Amino acid sequence: MASFDQKKITEIHQHLHSHLPSDSALRVKALETILVEKGMVKSESIDRWVEVYADDIGPKRGAHVVARAWTDPAFKERLLADAASAVDEMGYKGPASGHLKAVENTDDTHNVVVCTLCSCYPFAILGMAPNWYKTAAYRARVVREPRAVLEEFGVKLAEDVGVHVWDSTAELRYIVIPQRPQGTENMSVEELAALVTRNSMIGTDRDLKVGA
Amino acid sequence: MDGIHDLGGKLGYGPVDVNEPEEPFHYDYEGRMWAMSRIAKAPDINIDWWRHVRELIQEDDYLNRPYFDSWAQTTIATMIDSEVFTTDELASGVSATPPLADVQEVDYEGVLQQNAEIAFDFSRPVDTEPQFAVGDIVVTNAEGHTGHTRLPEYARGKTGVIHSYHSAHCFPDDYAKGNPSAQHLYTVAFAATELWGDDANPNDRVTLELWESYLAPK
Repeated sequence: MASFDQKKITEIHQHLHSHLPSDSALRVKALETILVEKGMVKSESIDRWVEVYADDIGPKRGAHVVARAWTDPAFKERLLADAASAVDEMGYKGPASGHLKAVENTDDTHNVVVCTLCSCYPFAILGMAPNWYKTAAYRARVVREPRAVLEEFGVKLAEDVGVHVWDSTAELRYIVIPQRPQGTENMSVEELAALVTRNSMIGTDRDLKVGA
Repeated sequence: MDGIHDLGGKLGYGPVDVNEPEEPFHYDYEGRMWAMSRIAKAPDINIDWWRHVRELIQEDDYLNRPYFDSWAQTTIATMIDSEVFTTDELASGVSATPPLADVQEVDYEGVLQQNAEIAFDFSRPVDTEPQFAVGDIVVTNAEGHTGHTRLPEYARGKTGVIHSYHSAHCFPDDYAKGNPSAQHLYTVAFAATELWGDDANPNDRVTLELWESYLAPK
Protein backbone atom coordinates (compact mmCIF):
# COMPACT_ATOMS: atom_id res chain seq x y z
CA MET A 1 0.00 0.00 0.00
CA ALA A 2 1.10 3.53 -0.71
CA SER A 3 1.74 5.32 2.59
CA PHE A 4 0.49 8.73 1.39
CA ASP A 5 2.98 9.92 4.02
CA GLN A 6 5.01 13.01 3.13
CA LYS A 7 7.66 12.33 5.79
CA LYS A 8 8.26 8.79 4.59
CA ILE A 9 8.71 9.98 0.99
CA THR A 10 11.15 12.68 2.09
CA GLU A 11 13.23 9.97 3.76
CA ILE A 12 13.10 7.78 0.64
CA HIS A 13 14.24 10.72 -1.50
CA GLN A 14 17.12 11.44 0.88
CA HIS A 15 18.19 7.83 0.69
CA LEU A 16 17.91 7.78 -3.11
CA HIS A 17 19.87 11.04 -3.35
CA SER A 18 22.94 9.30 -1.96
CA HIS A 19 22.36 5.75 -3.25
CA LEU A 20 21.15 6.07 -6.85
CA PRO A 21 23.77 6.19 -9.58
CA SER A 22 24.37 9.82 -10.54
CA ASP A 23 24.03 9.15 -14.27
CA SER A 24 20.40 9.55 -15.43
CA ALA A 25 20.62 6.74 -17.96
CA LEU A 26 21.85 4.35 -15.26
CA ARG A 27 18.98 5.34 -12.95
CA VAL A 28 16.42 4.62 -15.64
CA LYS A 29 18.21 1.38 -16.52
CA ALA A 30 18.08 0.26 -12.88
CA LEU A 31 14.34 0.91 -12.81
CA GLU A 32 13.78 -0.98 -16.06
CA THR A 33 15.85 -3.95 -14.84
CA ILE A 34 13.92 -4.41 -11.61
CA LEU A 35 10.53 -3.88 -13.29
CA VAL A 36 11.39 -6.57 -15.85
CA GLU A 37 12.45 -8.85 -12.96
CA LYS A 38 9.12 -8.20 -11.24
CA GLY A 39 7.21 -9.07 -14.42
CA MET A 40 5.75 -5.55 -14.69
CA VAL A 41 7.31 -4.44 -17.99
CA LYS A 42 8.79 -6.06 -21.09
CA SER A 43 11.78 -4.27 -22.60
CA GLU A 44 10.42 -5.01 -26.09
CA SER A 45 7.21 -3.15 -25.22
CA ILE A 46 9.28 -0.17 -24.10
CA ASP A 47 10.98 -0.23 -27.53
CA ARG A 48 7.56 -0.13 -29.23
CA TRP A 49 6.34 2.80 -27.08
CA VAL A 50 9.46 4.76 -27.97
CA GLU A 51 8.89 4.03 -31.67
CA VAL A 52 5.26 5.08 -31.50
CA TYR A 53 6.15 8.42 -29.90
CA ALA A 54 9.04 8.94 -32.31
CA ASP A 55 7.04 8.11 -35.46
CA ASP A 56 3.28 8.37 -35.01
CA ILE A 57 2.33 10.52 -32.05
CA GLY A 58 3.69 14.02 -32.13
CA PRO A 59 2.91 17.59 -33.12
CA LYS A 60 1.84 16.53 -36.60
CA ARG A 61 -1.35 15.28 -34.98
CA GLY A 62 -2.02 18.71 -33.51
CA ALA A 63 -1.13 20.31 -36.83
CA HIS A 64 -3.81 18.25 -38.54
CA VAL A 65 -6.33 19.31 -35.92
CA VAL A 66 -5.46 22.96 -36.60
CA ALA A 67 -5.52 22.59 -40.41
CA ARG A 68 -8.89 20.90 -40.24
CA ALA A 69 -10.22 23.67 -37.99
CA TRP A 70 -9.07 26.22 -40.58
CA THR A 71 -10.85 24.46 -43.42
CA ASP A 72 -13.95 22.91 -41.82
CA PRO A 73 -16.08 25.46 -39.90
CA ALA A 74 -18.35 22.79 -38.39
CA PHE A 75 -15.31 20.91 -37.06
CA LYS A 76 -13.87 24.14 -35.67
CA GLU A 77 -17.10 24.78 -33.83
CA ARG A 78 -16.99 21.28 -32.32
CA LEU A 79 -13.31 21.70 -31.47
CA LEU A 80 -13.85 24.96 -29.60
CA ALA A 81 -16.91 23.55 -27.80
CA ASP A 82 -15.43 20.14 -26.87
CA ALA A 83 -11.89 19.53 -28.05
CA ALA A 84 -11.65 16.14 -26.32
CA SER A 85 -14.47 14.75 -28.51
CA ALA A 86 -13.21 16.52 -31.61
CA VAL A 87 -9.73 14.94 -31.40
CA ASP A 88 -11.31 11.59 -30.55
CA GLU A 89 -13.25 11.92 -33.80
CA MET A 90 -9.89 12.22 -35.61
CA GLY A 91 -8.55 9.11 -33.87
CA TYR A 92 -6.18 11.12 -31.69
CA LYS A 93 -7.46 10.17 -28.25
CA GLY A 94 -4.68 9.45 -25.75
CA PRO A 95 -2.74 10.60 -22.68
CA ALA A 96 -4.03 13.92 -21.39
CA SER A 97 -6.61 14.36 -24.16
CA GLY A 98 -9.56 13.57 -21.88
CA HIS A 99 -10.16 17.19 -20.89
CA LEU A 100 -8.65 18.97 -23.87
CA LYS A 101 -9.52 22.62 -24.64
CA ALA A 102 -8.76 24.51 -27.83
CA VAL A 103 -8.12 28.26 -27.57
CA GLU A 104 -7.96 30.47 -30.62
CA ASN A 105 -5.59 33.33 -31.43
CA THR A 106 -7.18 36.43 -32.96
CA ASP A 107 -5.90 39.78 -34.16
CA ASP A 108 -6.10 41.15 -30.62
CA THR A 109 -5.45 38.04 -28.48
CA HIS A 110 -2.46 35.74 -28.18
CA ASN A 111 -2.70 32.52 -26.15
CA VAL A 112 0.21 30.76 -24.47
CA VAL A 113 0.17 27.61 -22.33
CA VAL A 114 2.20 26.60 -19.27
CA CYS A 115 2.04 24.31 -16.26
CA THR A 116 3.75 26.25 -13.46
CA LEU A 117 3.35 23.47 -10.85
CA CYS A 118 4.70 20.51 -12.84
CA SER A 119 4.78 20.10 -16.61
CA CYS A 120 1.30 19.03 -17.80
CA TYR A 121 1.15 18.76 -21.59
CA PRO A 122 -1.31 17.36 -24.19
CA PHE A 123 0.88 14.37 -25.15
CA ALA A 124 -1.76 12.70 -27.32
CA ILE A 125 -1.78 15.51 -29.88
CA LEU A 126 1.57 17.26 -29.40
CA GLY A 127 3.79 14.31 -28.45
CA MET A 128 6.67 14.86 -26.08
CA ALA A 129 6.98 18.27 -24.47
CA PRO A 130 10.11 20.22 -25.38
CA ASN A 131 12.62 20.52 -22.54
CA TRP A 132 12.24 24.27 -22.36
CA TYR A 133 8.53 23.85 -21.54
CA LYS A 134 9.56 21.89 -18.42
CA THR A 135 12.34 24.21 -17.25
CA ALA A 136 12.11 26.38 -14.16
CA ALA A 137 12.83 29.43 -16.35
CA TYR A 138 9.79 28.96 -18.60
CA ARG A 139 7.45 27.94 -15.77
CA ALA A 140 8.53 30.82 -13.54
CA ARG A 141 8.63 33.54 -16.16
CA VAL A 142 5.85 33.01 -18.68
CA VAL A 143 3.06 33.82 -16.21
CA ARG A 144 4.84 36.95 -14.98
CA GLU A 145 6.53 38.36 -18.06
CA PRO A 146 4.97 36.54 -21.03
CA ARG A 147 5.93 39.26 -23.51
CA ALA A 148 9.63 39.01 -22.60
CA VAL A 149 9.55 35.20 -22.93
CA LEU A 150 7.71 35.43 -26.25
CA GLU A 151 10.31 37.87 -27.56
CA GLU A 152 13.01 35.29 -26.84
CA PHE A 153 11.05 33.00 -29.18
CA GLY A 154 10.93 35.75 -31.79
CA VAL A 155 7.31 36.74 -31.13
CA LYS A 156 6.98 40.49 -30.73
CA LEU A 157 3.48 41.60 -29.79
CA ALA A 158 1.96 45.06 -30.01
CA GLU A 159 1.01 46.49 -26.63
CA ASP A 160 -2.69 46.30 -27.45
CA VAL A 161 -2.61 42.59 -28.31
CA GLY A 162 -3.66 40.93 -25.05
CA VAL A 163 -1.68 37.90 -23.88
CA HIS A 164 -3.76 35.16 -22.32
CA VAL A 165 -1.64 32.72 -20.29
CA TRP A 166 -3.29 29.38 -19.49
CA ASP A 167 -1.73 27.75 -16.41
CA SER A 168 -2.74 24.05 -16.49
CA THR A 169 -3.34 23.48 -12.78
CA ALA A 170 -5.92 20.66 -13.17
CA GLU A 171 -6.41 17.90 -15.78
CA LEU A 172 -7.52 20.30 -18.51
CA ARG A 173 -4.97 20.56 -21.32
CA TYR A 174 -4.71 23.22 -24.00
CA ILE A 175 -3.94 23.47 -27.69
CA VAL A 176 -3.61 26.92 -29.22
CA ILE A 177 -5.21 27.37 -32.63
CA PRO A 178 -2.90 29.81 -34.42
CA GLN A 179 -4.24 32.19 -37.09
CA ARG A 180 -4.31 30.89 -40.64
CA PRO A 181 -1.69 32.75 -42.67
CA GLN A 182 -2.76 34.93 -45.59
CA GLY A 183 -2.26 33.57 -49.08
CA THR A 184 -3.11 29.97 -48.17
CA GLU A 185 -6.64 29.93 -49.61
CA ASN A 186 -5.81 27.30 -52.23
CA MET A 187 -3.82 24.97 -50.01
CA SER A 188 -4.92 21.45 -49.13
CA VAL A 189 -5.34 20.33 -45.51
CA GLU A 190 -2.02 18.47 -45.81
CA GLU A 191 -0.23 21.57 -47.07
CA LEU A 192 -1.78 23.69 -44.35
CA ALA A 193 -0.81 21.19 -41.62
CA ALA A 194 2.80 21.44 -42.77
CA LEU A 195 2.75 25.18 -41.91
CA VAL A 196 1.72 24.61 -38.28
CA THR A 197 4.66 24.55 -35.89
CA ARG A 198 4.68 22.77 -32.55
CA ASN A 199 5.48 26.03 -30.77
CA SER A 200 2.50 27.76 -32.39
CA MET A 201 0.22 25.21 -30.69
CA ILE A 202 1.87 25.93 -27.30
CA GLY A 203 1.77 29.66 -28.00
CA THR A 204 5.48 30.46 -28.32
CA ASP A 205 5.13 31.04 -32.06
CA ARG A 206 2.47 33.26 -33.70
CA ASP A 207 2.86 34.30 -37.33
CA LEU A 208 3.18 31.10 -39.33
CA LYS A 209 5.35 31.25 -42.40
CA VAL A 210 4.25 30.21 -45.86
CA GLY A 211 6.89 28.70 -48.11
CA ALA A 212 9.47 28.71 -45.33
CA MET B 1 2.97 22.75 -0.07
CA ASP B 2 5.21 25.79 -0.51
CA GLY B 3 7.91 23.79 -2.27
CA ILE B 4 10.46 24.33 -5.00
CA HIS B 5 7.98 23.05 -7.61
CA ASP B 6 5.72 26.10 -7.17
CA LEU B 7 7.62 28.19 -9.69
CA GLY B 8 5.05 30.56 -11.20
CA GLY B 9 6.27 34.17 -10.99
CA LYS B 10 9.52 33.36 -9.15
CA LEU B 11 12.36 35.67 -10.13
CA GLY B 12 15.99 35.09 -11.00
CA TYR B 13 15.65 32.62 -13.86
CA GLY B 14 17.48 33.33 -17.08
CA PRO B 15 16.46 33.11 -20.73
CA VAL B 16 14.66 30.09 -22.20
CA ASP B 17 16.65 27.87 -24.57
CA VAL B 18 14.73 28.56 -27.75
CA ASN B 19 17.16 26.65 -30.00
CA GLU B 20 16.52 23.18 -28.60
CA PRO B 21 16.29 20.55 -31.37
CA GLU B 22 12.73 19.37 -32.02
CA GLU B 23 13.26 15.59 -31.91
CA PRO B 24 10.97 13.92 -29.33
CA PHE B 25 13.76 12.40 -27.23
CA HIS B 26 17.27 13.80 -26.88
CA TYR B 27 18.60 10.70 -25.04
CA ASP B 28 17.50 7.06 -25.16
CA TYR B 29 16.75 6.99 -21.45
CA GLU B 30 14.13 9.72 -21.88
CA GLY B 31 12.07 7.56 -24.21
CA ARG B 32 12.50 4.50 -22.00
CA MET B 33 11.36 6.42 -18.91
CA TRP B 34 8.39 7.86 -20.78
CA ALA B 35 7.41 4.35 -21.94
CA MET B 36 7.74 2.82 -18.45
CA SER B 37 5.55 5.57 -17.04
CA ARG B 38 2.82 4.51 -19.50
CA ILE B 39 3.17 0.78 -18.74
CA ALA B 40 3.83 0.37 -15.01
CA LYS B 41 2.95 2.14 -11.81
CA ALA B 42 2.62 1.23 -8.16
CA PRO B 43 -0.79 -0.46 -8.03
CA ASP B 44 -2.54 1.77 -5.49
CA ILE B 45 -1.34 5.24 -6.43
CA ASN B 46 -2.98 8.11 -8.30
CA ILE B 47 -1.72 11.05 -10.33
CA ASP B 48 -1.84 13.50 -7.42
CA TRP B 49 0.19 11.28 -5.11
CA TRP B 50 2.74 10.77 -7.92
CA ARG B 51 2.91 14.57 -8.44
CA HIS B 52 3.31 15.14 -4.71
CA VAL B 53 6.13 12.61 -4.53
CA ARG B 54 7.84 14.48 -7.38
CA GLU B 55 7.39 17.80 -5.54
CA LEU B 56 9.16 16.29 -2.53
CA ILE B 57 12.42 15.66 -4.42
CA GLN B 58 15.21 17.64 -2.76
CA GLU B 59 15.52 21.17 -4.10
CA ASP B 60 18.95 20.78 -5.70
CA ASP B 61 17.90 17.57 -7.46
CA TYR B 62 14.54 19.06 -8.51
CA LEU B 63 16.13 22.09 -10.14
CA ASN B 64 19.35 20.66 -11.50
CA ARG B 65 18.79 17.07 -12.59
CA PRO B 66 17.23 16.34 -16.01
CA TYR B 67 13.47 16.16 -16.31
CA PHE B 68 13.04 12.45 -17.00
CA ASP B 69 15.56 11.74 -14.26
CA SER B 70 13.02 13.28 -11.88
CA TRP B 71 10.35 10.98 -13.31
CA ALA B 72 12.63 8.01 -12.63
CA GLN B 73 13.25 9.13 -9.06
CA THR B 74 9.54 9.77 -8.50
CA THR B 75 8.47 6.40 -9.85
CA ILE B 76 11.23 4.64 -7.89
CA ALA B 77 10.15 6.42 -4.69
CA THR B 78 6.47 5.52 -5.17
CA MET B 79 7.38 1.91 -5.86
CA ILE B 80 9.62 1.61 -2.81
CA ASP B 81 6.89 3.27 -0.74
CA SER B 82 4.25 0.87 -2.09
CA GLU B 83 6.61 -2.09 -1.55
CA VAL B 84 6.76 -3.05 -5.23
CA PHE B 85 10.54 -3.41 -4.78
CA THR B 86 13.14 -2.53 -2.17
CA THR B 87 16.19 -0.30 -2.48
CA ASP B 88 18.34 -3.45 -2.27
CA GLU B 89 16.44 -5.05 -5.15
CA LEU B 90 16.81 -1.86 -7.18
CA ALA B 91 20.55 -1.76 -6.52
CA SER B 92 21.15 -5.45 -7.31
CA GLY B 93 18.70 -5.69 -10.22
CA VAL B 94 17.53 -9.01 -8.79
CA SER B 95 14.07 -9.63 -7.38
CA ALA B 96 14.03 -11.30 -3.97
CA THR B 97 10.45 -12.45 -4.51
CA PRO B 98 8.62 -14.26 -7.34
CA PRO B 99 7.39 -11.88 -10.09
CA LEU B 100 4.42 -9.73 -9.04
CA ALA B 101 2.89 -9.80 -12.51
CA ASP B 102 3.27 -11.46 -15.88
CA VAL B 103 2.75 -8.57 -18.26
CA GLN B 104 2.67 -9.56 -21.92
CA GLU B 105 4.72 -8.02 -24.71
CA VAL B 106 2.83 -5.41 -26.72
CA ASP B 107 3.43 -4.74 -30.43
CA TYR B 108 3.25 -1.40 -32.28
CA GLU B 109 -0.50 -1.62 -32.93
CA GLY B 110 -1.05 -2.68 -29.34
CA VAL B 111 0.79 0.40 -28.11
CA LEU B 112 -1.35 2.65 -30.29
CA GLN B 113 -4.44 1.01 -28.81
CA GLN B 114 -3.20 1.26 -25.20
CA ASN B 115 -2.24 4.88 -25.83
CA ALA B 116 -5.80 5.69 -26.89
CA GLU B 117 -7.13 4.00 -23.75
CA ILE B 118 -5.29 6.32 -21.36
CA ALA B 119 -7.38 9.39 -22.14
CA PHE B 120 -8.60 9.38 -18.54
CA ASP B 121 -11.72 11.13 -17.35
CA PHE B 122 -11.15 12.93 -14.04
CA SER B 123 -14.70 14.19 -13.62
CA ARG B 124 -16.69 12.66 -10.76
CA PRO B 125 -20.31 12.97 -9.62
CA VAL B 126 -21.00 15.07 -6.51
CA ASP B 127 -24.19 15.77 -4.54
CA THR B 128 -23.86 19.54 -4.38
CA GLU B 129 -24.67 22.29 -6.84
CA PRO B 130 -21.77 24.50 -7.98
CA GLN B 131 -21.47 27.55 -5.75
CA PHE B 132 -20.30 29.87 -8.56
CA ALA B 133 -21.50 30.77 -12.04
CA VAL B 134 -19.60 32.14 -15.02
CA GLY B 135 -18.97 35.85 -14.47
CA ASP B 136 -18.96 35.67 -10.64
CA ILE B 137 -16.19 37.54 -8.86
CA VAL B 138 -14.19 35.33 -6.51
CA VAL B 139 -11.20 35.67 -4.22
CA THR B 140 -8.70 32.83 -3.75
CA ASN B 141 -7.50 31.51 -0.41
CA ALA B 142 -4.69 33.60 1.02
CA GLU B 143 -2.96 30.65 2.67
CA GLY B 144 -1.75 27.32 1.37
CA HIS B 145 -1.26 24.21 3.50
CA THR B 146 1.46 21.67 4.12
CA GLY B 147 0.13 19.00 1.73
CA HIS B 148 -0.26 18.75 -2.03
CA THR B 149 -2.33 21.53 -3.55
CA ARG B 150 -2.89 23.04 -6.99
CA LEU B 151 -3.40 26.62 -5.89
CA PRO B 152 -0.01 28.19 -6.67
CA GLU B 153 1.46 30.84 -4.39
CA TYR B 154 1.25 33.53 -7.05
CA ALA B 155 -2.53 33.17 -7.28
CA ARG B 156 -3.30 33.22 -3.54
CA GLY B 157 -5.38 36.01 -2.04
CA LYS B 158 -6.19 37.32 -5.52
CA THR B 159 -9.46 38.47 -7.05
CA GLY B 160 -10.59 36.91 -10.32
CA VAL B 161 -13.65 36.08 -12.36
CA ILE B 162 -15.16 32.68 -13.12
CA HIS B 163 -14.36 32.08 -16.79
CA SER B 164 -15.86 28.59 -17.18
CA TYR B 165 -17.15 25.61 -15.20
CA HIS B 166 -16.08 21.99 -15.76
CA SER B 167 -18.29 19.84 -13.48
CA ALA B 168 -16.68 18.25 -10.43
CA HIS B 169 -13.20 16.72 -10.72
CA CYS B 170 -11.02 14.66 -8.39
CA PHE B 171 -9.73 17.02 -5.68
CA PRO B 172 -5.90 16.85 -5.66
CA ASP B 173 -5.41 17.98 -2.05
CA ASP B 174 -7.40 14.91 -0.88
CA TYR B 175 -6.35 12.52 -3.66
CA ALA B 176 -2.70 12.96 -2.74
CA LYS B 177 -3.64 11.61 0.71
CA GLY B 178 -5.42 8.60 -0.78
CA ASN B 179 -8.87 10.10 -0.22
CA PRO B 180 -10.88 10.12 -3.47
CA SER B 181 -13.07 13.19 -2.99
CA ALA B 182 -14.27 15.52 -5.74
CA GLN B 183 -15.15 19.20 -5.99
CA HIS B 184 -16.55 21.58 -8.56
CA LEU B 185 -13.80 22.85 -10.86
CA TYR B 186 -13.63 26.24 -12.54
CA THR B 187 -11.32 28.15 -14.82
CA VAL B 188 -10.71 31.48 -13.10
CA ALA B 189 -9.31 34.49 -14.97
CA PHE B 190 -7.06 37.05 -13.30
CA ALA B 191 -5.92 40.36 -14.72
CA ALA B 192 -2.13 40.37 -14.99
CA THR B 193 -2.19 43.66 -13.05
CA GLU B 194 -4.02 41.91 -10.16
CA LEU B 195 -1.28 39.26 -9.97
CA TRP B 196 1.82 41.35 -10.68
CA GLY B 197 0.94 44.97 -10.10
CA ASP B 198 1.07 47.99 -12.34
CA ASP B 199 4.13 46.82 -14.27
CA ALA B 200 1.94 44.26 -16.04
CA ASN B 201 0.19 45.05 -19.31
CA PRO B 202 -3.48 45.87 -18.59
CA ASN B 203 -4.50 43.82 -21.65
CA ASP B 204 -2.97 40.61 -20.28
CA ARG B 205 -4.57 37.93 -18.15
CA VAL B 206 -3.74 34.58 -16.62
CA THR B 207 -6.22 31.76 -16.11
CA LEU B 208 -5.94 28.78 -13.78
CA GLU B 209 -8.15 25.78 -13.05
CA LEU B 210 -9.22 26.05 -9.42
CA TRP B 211 -11.37 23.85 -7.20
CA GLU B 212 -14.29 25.27 -5.27
CA SER B 213 -12.68 25.18 -1.80
CA TYR B 214 -9.85 27.37 -3.12
CA LEU B 215 -12.41 30.13 -3.74
CA ALA B 216 -14.70 32.44 -1.81
CA PRO B 217 -17.33 34.89 -3.08
CA LYS B 218 -16.35 38.53 -3.19
